[in-house]
Amino acid sequence: MNLNTEASLQLKANRQHQLWKRFKKQTVLHLFVGLGMLFLLIFAYTPMFGIVMAFKDYTIVTGIKGIFTSDWVGLQYFNEFVDDYRFGEIVRNTLVLSFLKVIFAFPAPILFAILLNEVRHLAFKRFVQTVSYLPHFISWVVVVGIAFSFLSADIGILNKLMVKIGLIDKPLDFLTSANYFWGLAVGSAVWKEMGWWTIIFLAAIAGINPALYEAAQIDGAGRLSRIWHVTLPGIKGTIVVVLILTIGSILGGGLVGSNFEQAYLLGNDVNNSTSEIVQTYAFKVGLADGRFSYAAAIDLIQSVISVLLIFSSNYIAKRASGSSLF
Amino acid sequence: MRSQLSKMLMLSLSFVMIIAVLTACSGGNSSGDSSADGADTGGSTSANASDEPAAGSQDVEELTLFINHSWYPVKEWKGAVADKITEKTGVKLKVTVATDDKQLPLMIASGDLPDLIFTASDIDRLSNSNISYSWNELIEKYAPDFKIDPTRTAINTMDDGNFYTIRNAFATQQEWETNQYALGNDGNPGIALREDIMKELGNPELKTLDDFVKLLGMVKEKHPDLVPLVMDKNWIESYFMTQYGIEAGFGSWYEKDGKVEYYLKHPKMLDFFKFMNGLYRNGYILAENFAHANDQIDDEYAVGGKAFAHSHTVSVAERDNISAKQTGAAYTFKMMPSALSEEAVRVSTGVGWSGTFITKNNKNPEKSIKLLQFLASEEGKQLTMFGVEGEHWTWNEEGYPNLKYNTADSDFVNSNGIKWWFLYSDAIVEGLWGYVPGTQTTQALLETKAITTYKPEIGMIQVKADSAEKTIKTKLDEMVTNEKVKIYLAKSEEEAVQNYETMMKNAEKIGLEKLDEWANKTYQEKQALFK
Repeated sequence: MNLNTEASLQLKANRQHQLWKRFKKQTVLHLFVGLGMLFLLIFAYTPMFGIVMAFKDYTIVTGIKGIFTSDWVGLQYFNEFVDDYRFGEIVRNTLVLSFLKVIFAFPAPILFAILLNEVRHLAFKRFVQTVSYLPHFISWVVVVGIAFSFLSADIGILNKLMVKIGLIDKPLDFLTSANYFWGLAVGSAVWKEMGWWTIIFLAAIAGINPALYEAAQIDGAGRLSRIWHVTLPGIKGTIVVVLILTIGSILGGGLVGSNFEQAYLLGNDVNNSTSEIVQTYAFKVGLADGRFSYAAAIDLIQSVISVLLIFSSNYIAKRASGSSLF
Repeated sequence: MRSQLSKMLMLSLSFVMIIAVLTACSGGNSSGDSSADGADTGGSTSANASDEPAAGSQDVEELTLFINHSWYPVKEWKGAVADKITEKTGVKLKVTVATDDKQLPLMIASGDLPDLIFTASDIDRLSNSNISYSWNELIEKYAPDFKIDPTRTAINTMDDGNFYTIRNAFATQQEWETNQYALGNDGNPGIALREDIMKELGNPELKTLDDFVKLLGMVKEKHPDLVPLVMDKNWIESYFMTQYGIEAGFGSWYEKDGKVEYYLKHPKMLDFFKFMNGLYRNGYILAENFAHANDQIDDEYAVGGKAFAHSHTVSVAERDNISAKQTGAAYTFKMMPSALSEEAVRVSTGVGWSGTFITKNNKNPEKSIKLLQFLASEEGKQLTMFGVEGEHWTWNEEGYPNLKYNTADSDFVNSNGIKWWFLYSDAIVEGLWGYVPGTQTTQALLETKAITTYKPEIGMIQVKADSAEKTIKTKLDEMVTNEKVKIYLAKSEEEAVQNYETMMKNAEKIGLEKLDEWANKTYQEKQALFK
C-alpha cells in the first residue's frame, strides 16, 4: 500500500516535471499565444461588458460609470426596435444584401482561382492576379467616388457611353434608384475583394500533389474532369473553412464584408428603402442621437443571429463534409 | 548556437511587443493625468492673471475649443480678428472642428471634453452641472459686471434654474423693430437665376410660382442640356414652403389659434408636396439632387454653367457671381424675388442658434467667462462680426458699418476670421453686417423681412435629450427624410398623394399626436417667459 502511493507520487512528480520541461521547450510559442490572448482579452472581451447597456436606461451624460449605475429596463429597447415601423424593411435589406453577397461573392474567387491555375503563361497569370487584387487596397470612400464618376446619371462615363452607342435612350439612375442598390453593392464588392480572396484558394491549389494530376491525365481525364476530380476535392477543406467564416460574418457582408460602408456611402435618401440596413440604422438613430442603449440593443440582436448562423453552418459542414472549424 | 541566438531575439522581441501593448493601454490614463496637471498649472496662471489688472498679453492662456459644426469654414485661430481677441483677452483658442455629428455624444459619454464647446445641438445634454459650469455661477464669481438682458437669460435658463450658455443669432422683437438696418442673416432661402438666359427669354415676368414654373419650362425647351433648377441639399424645401404660406420649416411647429401643431399637419403641406413632385415629373429637377453627398455639388452645377436656377440662401446670387468670376465664366446670376405669392410668409421662431459651453474640464473658467464677456460687449461683437475697426470697416452716419470688403467674398472673410468667432453674439450685429445697400443680398433680405413675423416662443418648444418626445421626434424626422423623397420622385400625382398618405400614417404610428400634446403643454408654459 505504502509502496503503491509512493510510486504514484513519484509518477506524478515525474509527469509534472515532464510537463514543465515540455513547457520550457515551447516558451517562445507560448509567449506568442499569450500575446494573442492578451490582445483578445483587452480589445475583444473587455469591451463586451458594454453590452449591459442594451438592458439599461443609460444616458451619455452619466459618463462611463453610468453604464453600471443606470437602471435596468429589461428588453425595452429590443421591443422598441421590433415595433419600429421600418423593422421589417431594415431586416429584409440586411438579409437580402448579405445572402446575395454569399451567393455571388463566395464562389467568385474559387472560380477565378481555378481559372488562373489553368493559365499556362506565367507572366500573364501574375499580371492578372496583381491587377485583380489591387482594388482590395482602395478604401470604400474612394471606390464610391469612382463609382460616382462612372455610374452617375448626369456625369457618369458609363451612362454617357451607353447612350452614345444607342444601348439605352435615357441614362440609368444606378446611384439614385432603390432598384439598383443591391446589384450595385454586390457588384462593387465582388470587384473589390474577389482578387484578394483568390490568393487563399490559389495557395490551396498549389498544395495539391502534382502526381495526382499526372495520374488523372494517364487515366484519360480531360481538363474539366481534372478540375472536377482533383482540384476541387483538393481544396475542399479550404472552401469549407472559408464558407464557415463567411457565414459567421454574413450579416456584415460575408467574406467581402463592407455591408456598413456600402450602405452608408452608397445609400442616400432616394435609395433608402433598399439601402438602410440594421447597422446604418443603429448608427443613425442610436449613435447620432446619443442613444447608446438603443444602438447596443439593435446590434446585439444582429450579433445573436450571427452566432446562431456560425454554429449551425459549422454543424452542417461537419455533417456534410466531415471538415469543420471546431 | 544560432538557434539559441534567434530564440533570444524572439524572446526580446515579444517582450518589447508586450510592453508596447501594455503602455498603449495605459496611454489613456496618462493623458488623463496630464490634463489634470494642466488644470493645476491653469489654476496658477489664473492666479497670476488676477494679480495683474489688465489682461497681460505676456501670459496668453491657450484653451481648447470644440466646434460642433462639421462644415465650419474656419478651423484655426488665426487672422486679424483672432489676434485682436487674444490681445484684448489674453486667450488663444486651439480649435477642433467636428468630423460628424456623432463625435460630440461620444465625447460626452467618455468624459473627454475640451475647455470650451461651441454647439447648436446637444444643448440640453451639456446644460448639466456635472458637465459644464453654469454661466450665472461664473459671472457671480469672476465677472459681476457681465450683464445679459433678461429675455436672453430667460430663454436659455434650464429647469434647474441655471443657464449654461447664451445662444447667438438671436434678437428680441423689440430689437428687430428698433434696428431698421438689421435685416436678418443668411439663414433665409433664396433662388438665383442666370441673367443671360433670362435676357435671352425676354425677362419674363416673375410674380407667381406659376410664372416660375413656366420659366423653368421655357429653359428646358430652349436649353435641354441645362438642369432647370439645382438645389442645395439643405435648402430644398424652404423657399417653396415659404411661398405656400407654411409657417414652419421641417422639424418645427406652427401656431394656429393659440395651439401649436407639428409642421406635417399643416393643411398646405400636401399642395407643397404636389408642387415639388410636379417639378420632378416635368424634368425641372434631377432625382440625383436628392442624393448629393455634400453641399458643394449644387454650387458646381450653378457655377459650372450646367444649371439655370440655383436654390440656396439669400446670398446665393452674389456667392455664385464671385465664384463664376474666379473661374472666368461669362455669365452672372440674379436673385429671384423672395416672395412670389400673396400667401408667402416666414415665421422666425429662432431662440438663437449656437452657444458656447464652459466644461468642467476647463483649465481656466475665469478667463473663459471673461472671454465671453468681451465678445458680448459692443466692442467685442463688432470686432468679431465686422472685423477690425478702421482697417475693415468704419461707422456710417446712418448707423450701419461701411465695410471695406465684400461679405460674400468668403475667402477674405474666412482668412481674416471675420464673423466665425461669434461664440457670443446677437442677430442685430449679424444683421448690420449683412446690410450693404444696393446689393442683391440686402434686397432679398429686405423682401424677406417684409414677410417675416417673430415668434420665439415657438422656438422654445425643444425636446429634451433622452426623453420620450425626443425619441418620437427623431424617428419622425428620420421617417420624413426617407419618405418625402418618395413623394417628390413619384411617377404620377396619384402616386405622390398615396405616398403622402403613407407618410402621414407612419407619422401617426410613431406618435405624432403624443408629440403635439407635449408640444402644446410646453408652449403654454413657455409663453409666459415672453410676457
